Amino acid sequence: MEETPKQHYSDTEKNDIFNHEFLPHISSMYNFGYRLTLDRDDAKDLVQDTYLKAYRFIESFQKGTNAKAWLFRILKNSFINDYRKKTKEPSKVDYQEVEAYYNSEDVDRQITPDLRVESLKDMIGDEISNALNSLDVDFRTVIILCDLEGFKYEEMAKILDIPIGTVRSRLHRARNLLKEKLSEYAKSMGYKNTEL
Amino acid sequence: MSKLYNPFILADGNKPSCMQMLQLILDGEASSEQQEYFKSHMDKCMPCFKSYSLDMTIKELLKTRCCGDPVPVELIEQIKIQINQNMPS
Repeated sequence: MEETPKQHYSDTEKNDIFNHEFLPHISSMYNFGYRLTLDRDDAKDLVQDTYLKAYRFIESFQKGTNAKAWLFRILKNSFINDYRKKTKEPSKVDYQEVEAYYNSEDVDRQITPDLRVESLKDMIGDEISNALNSLDVDFRTVIILCDLEGFKYEEMAKILDIPIGTVRSRLHRARNLLKEKLSEYAKSMGYKNTEL
Repeated sequence: MSKLYNPFILADGNKPSCMQMLQLILDGEASSEQQEYFKSHMDKCMPCFKSYSLDMTIKELLKTRCCGDPVPVELIEQIKIQINQNMPS
């Protein structure tokens, strides 16, 4: 994603790229910023920083290529460098363990609590959103990229600087954790028998 | 039932697990051949059938419930002002 040779754009071209290739993604970018920081003001700052960086480095971007993935990558890096350091939140996740499990034969064993489609559809409030927000930020991120934004594994690997195999194992673990959380909500809603 | 060719089998000969097949289907990463195979596999594999419905529902709910918050109206204007101030061409 970064190996594109430097482009040369006139000011008109720069503004054209900015307005027609970058700005149309602002809604997704704001949502990504919010889901990472869980704070609307921080999300605004993060998105603003990202767009300023994107404009500053616009000649590293090749017109007509995947602007959304490029912008998401900048935002993710800004989040890690500028925001995560502030909170000094250590990663609580042993990723080697996540990957080893994914590649083991145990992976098909049902480890998530049973959950019914019906109980999910009755969740009309913020349960889904709260469940997503409760995940560790690295697990939250893969779900946002894949399920909310529809990025392909290859794009996610480039955005996150991790191998595709890691994208897949992390996504698997993230979904199981999300199901556990949703199952807790289902139980609190009175679904005693949560078997499908 | 005749043994179908499994298009999920990896180059190294390893057969992916049910969950790994399901994930590729769910995320639109499976080829049309793999999708066909998985469809008939679900007829014989209840856990896959159940997981498919559940995972699909969660994926759809995430998309509808966790997107679409309006972007603050002033944000685009602020970005444009910053660019004009900080990066005069």
